[in-house]
Amino acid sequence: MTADVQQAVGRQAKIDTLKRIGKYTIVRFFMLFFAVAVGIYLTILIANMGGYVDEIRKAEIRENIAIQISMNPQYKKLSTEERKQLQEKLVALEEERLGLNKPFLIRSLAYLKDALTLNLGRAMNMTSDSGSRQVKLILLERLPATVLLFGTSFLLNFFVSLFFALMLSRRYGSFWDRFVVALAPTSAAPGWFYGIFLIVIFASWLRILPYGGMVDAPPPENPILYALSVAEHMILPLMALAISGIFLSMYSWRTFFLIYSSEDYVEMAKAKGLTERAIERRYILRPTLPYIVTSFALGVIVVWQGAIIFETVFNWPGIGRVYYQAIGLFDIPVIVGTTVLYAYLLAVTVFLLDIIYAFIDPRVKIG
Amino acid sequence: MNDNTLLKLEDLVLYFKTSRGEVQAVDHVNLELHKNKAVVILGESGCGKSSMAKAILRLLPRNVGQYHGKVLLEDFDVMSLSDEEFRRQVRWVKMSMVPQAAMNALNPVLRAGEQVAEPAMIHLGMDKEEALDLARQMFENVGVPVDFLTRYPFELSGGMRQRVAIAMALITKPQLIVLDEPTSALDLLTQANIMNVLKTIKWETGTSYILITHDIATSSELADEVAVMYAGQIVEINDAESFFQEPLHPYSQRLMASVPRLYGDEEPDFIPGRPPSLLNPPTGCRFADRCHLRFDKCDEEPPTFIVDGHPVKCWLYEKDHQAVESAATGTGDAS
Amino acid sequence: MNLNQFREITRYPSAIFGLVIILILVGISIYTVIALPYSETVVKWRGGDMVWQDNPRTVPPTWTNFFRSKKLPETIIFRSTDEGVEKQVTPLKDDLTDIQMTYTFDYTADDFPQEIIMFFTSTFEKKAPYISLTWTTPDGRELDIGDFSIDKTYTRRMSQDEKLTRKLNGQPAEIGLFADPNSENLKPLKGTYTLTMAGLTFEPDSSFDAKTVIYGKVFGMAGTDHLRRDLMLALLWGTPVALAFGLIGAVVTSVLTLVIAATGTWYGGWVDSVIQRITEINMMLPVLPILIMVGVFYSRSLWLILGVIILLSIFGASIKGYRAMFLQEKEAGYIQAAKSYGASNTRIIFQYLIPRVVPVLIPSLVVLIPSFVFLEASLAVLGLGDPLMPTWGKIIDEARTNGALYKGLYYWVLEPSFMLMLTGFSFAMLGFALDRIFNPRLRGM
Repeated sequence: MTADVQQAVGRQAKIDTLKRIGKYTIVRFFMLFFAVAVGIYLTILIANMGGYVDEIRKAEIRENIAIQISMNPQYKKLSTEERKQLQEKLVALEEERLGLNKPFLIRSLAYLKDALTLNLGRAMNMTSDSGSRQVKLILLERLPATVLLFGTSFLLNFFVSLFFALMLSRRYGSFWDRFVVALAPTSAAPGWFYGIFLIVIFASWLRILPYGGMVDAPPPENPILYALSVAEHMILPLMALAISGIFLSMYSWRTFFLIYSSEDYVEMAKAKGLTERAIERRYILRPTLPYIVTSFALGVIVVWQGAIIFETVFNWPGIGRVYYQAIGLFDIPVIVGTTVLYAYLLAVTVFLLDIIYAFIDPRVKIG
Repeated sequence: MNDNTLLKLEDLVLYFKTSRGEVQAVDHVNLELHKNKAVVILGESGCGKSSMAKAILRLLPRNVGQYHGKVLLEDFDVMSLSDEEFRRQVRWVKMSMVPQAAMNALNPVLRAGEQVAEPAMIHLGMDKEEALDLARQMFENVGVPVDFLTRYPFELSGGMRQRVAIAMALITKPQLIVLDEPTSALDLLTQANIMNVLKTIKWETGTSYILITHDIATSSELADEVAVMYAGQIVEINDAESFFQEPLHPYSQRLMASVPRLYGDEEPDFIPGRPPSLLNPPTGCRFADRCHLRFDKCDEEPPTFIVDGHPVKCWLYEKDHQAVESAATGTGDAS
Repeated sequence: MNLNQFREITRYPSAIFGLVIILILVGISIYTVIALPYSETVVKWRGGDMVWQDNPRTVPPTWTNFFRSKKLPETIIFRSTDEGVEKQVTPLKDDLTDIQMTYTFDYTADDFPQEIIMFFTSTFEKKAPYISLTWTTPDGRELDIGDFSIDKTYTRRMSQDEKLTRKLNGQPAEIGLFADPNSENLKPLKGTYTLTMAGLTFEPDSSFDAKTVIYGKVFGMAGTDHLRRDLMLALLWGTPVALAFGLIGAVVTSVLTLVIAATGTWYGGWVDSVIQRITEINMMLPVLPILIMVGVFYSRSLWLILGVIILLSIFGASIKGYRAMFLQEKEAGYIQAAKSYGASNTRIIFQYLIPRVVPVLIPSLVVLIPSFVFLEASLAVLGLGDPLMPTWGKIIDEARTNGALYKGLYYWVLEPSFMLMLTGFSFAMLGFALDRIFNPRLRGM
């Protein structure tokens, strides 16, 4: 084969691969979108079995109309009685226009559309920091705090446990290996559980770390001091998340690597004279990359769900705590809205996972 | 011992630790291999022959119990090398391996060509382009179409994979290739092909082989010498012709008797019983309780006697023959 | 799967430890369910004045005194109906009767009682009895601590008696009546105290009964909560609830998941596809938020919640793992043989496919149990626990909302946490050991 032909073949192969991955991505996107839609629809169904989503909608309409009436100079001269009548009339009109007195099926589809576009309505009792009542804003304001804490913890745990697991798989039966194996059951308890203990020890008893919250009150003006304060408040939550997750991770990966390092091709690599590091990289990590990525994504999913109680225990101002507050205040729009947001986040995670999978699994590449 | 000796194993021992005790897989093995010769290590499943490959190539498992003896490559004991020295000086430079066909010895996420080229990059200092070029040549030598360089192992048939493995073993032009059941998982036609490839390579490059197998028929194609292994010990070493005509050790005799013949009316025989466990090998001759020629001396472990220059581990040859402590001598040239 | 493998458990000390703990917990559960019937417990736990009257409020367990240099007092109760009480009935003129009761007790603690309350019940028609109380300290001081008339039911909180407080130089009853007058720092005087109750009844059939409770600062084996409830009851009852929840949840989920995976893999085609799609959709459903919604909007009944969790879990991600295993098994020779001699699909699934995978199921089932146990606790901590049953999570929730962490009432949080931890860890340890035994890929190690 001449060099030119070779190059042309290579280029074509690359284009083919991209086309395949592209097709795969699009197919997965639609399948996932369908799954998200169904998931959110189910959420709405559950929420609305008691007619709650209807209430949210109706409340919003009522409020809108009330604002409209009060802003309209034409209606300023009306008495309270007349104004009320006008409001009822307009509300009824609006409800009919929006099809709120249509059969449930059609209504629920309308809600689905709202949910999918993240039009989550207005909260009943809660407000965002900026004063808005919009559920979307309330949630989006709180999202960064959750991402900061859980993102940091997750990345920390994931890479630390991967690193140590590789090390441990080479030292099977050593003291540290047996230590980690013995401690693996600590993952039976969730992070918030350890959080309570840590707070008791370090905040209540020793008084060297804060009880909770994200930053000192009042927060320092200087951005560096602010960042340090946040970091200080992150210590206990990160510790709690580490204790409840890292030993199991290390154990699982170490077992995983043990199994995969006893594969025949790993022995061949050793026979061929590859260095340990080369073997680790190309013969243990590369083949197991799909599984690592999968569990990465699945881990993210688990982390989202644990946030509710965890943030409550540590009084961390994220969406988990918002959810908890909404439960306490019985603020239905926020509750439903947060659930929808969770479903979305899960879907995005799964979707990203699928794309990454497409790139690293040769069986998908080749098709 | 002379200039023609490539490899000499002296008292090679490899035991494994298991939860039930120590498995004596390779029990004081002595063997000699000459340049451009192929010695076949013949034995049934569980006799420790695969462990032999591991012992020679220092591919020790996690639960290794004992590992000692001498592995003399051109008179230099490579056992004395550290792991890193061994990796750099011996692995694939002097000795390479073709694994069992049934194993998944190829990395599923790397392309075939890359894997074959790897040793060239590591040991011959080539860059990727050069190494792939060399790999291409190897593919041609073993009969694999060149566009398979960019394929992944799961796209190849069993026979193709085995050829790729041979190409991989050849690329650094080692003096010795250890082949562990290279054709046992392949169909007969492919087996014949692979055997031909091996013969051609031996003829063209002067490589020596240690072929480990239970398949008497295919081994007879390639063998210059046959070493019979039983229960972790070498019980007979003979040149191929003599062996197939007139095996010396009772076990070898029963083995040959069990091979069905194309011509003749004799029915193939079988050996009753099972080989002993390597966990607790019996004292005395390990073949004794299955041996048709057993007598009372067999309760004691026999030393190795030299019969016409060939080592045999059996009391039957005590009379008139010299016993040796260790060291087996090959055929042909005077020792 | 055979018995030999189970015997291998003995090789793992962590597994034996876990197993022992589990057996103890099961024992506690059986005892609790028999000795403390559910209906009674629910009523008791709802509390109310009568049930927990005699307990002090929010105090740690008695055995903590072992670690203290300053011993806290235990509750002292005497009733007019007690045997050791000296009772003197002296009829006076005009239907008047003088009833004198003397209670003697020893006080040996290093700290003051929590409070002192007297509960009176009396029978009369028009005129209520009149009570006079006299207090005698070990060093011989005698104090009049109350003259009052009572009612049919009458509760007298001594610390709220302002006259008495003034009499004791501004110290409330529980301190003033016990304080050592000669000591510089405030500490109780140890010794024998006497309370004399002189009651005057004005009608011939009139009588009264008195119960005096000098509340201690420790109680029982587990302490009490803010409603004076004995935490031991909740700790004991939490055990069968946690075990039942965990076991039922884990077993039902695992078995159903296995059957679903097997069915999908065996039938293939559209059945498999549908199951795969459902699994994907299920992955999107956020379990905890949905449970919260169910709990907030509909019902918090434990069994309903358990049902919903199971429903949301059976199409979990483990289906993919099982599917891979079943796909492998499907091609096995004996399965093909069974199909060819006409075995029904159900038979193949249940008798051939599933038993092969069960060994791998066992460890994951065992490790799943703590997840369920903690899930129940999680819901309780969110305030969505079962409204009737006392569970460990509930205790933690109540402790937290009543500021246990800030007030240093560690026992309140630590006790249920300890039980949770014990349960969770024992199953986890057992499960991990089982995994090392049953997982075929780990067997070579």
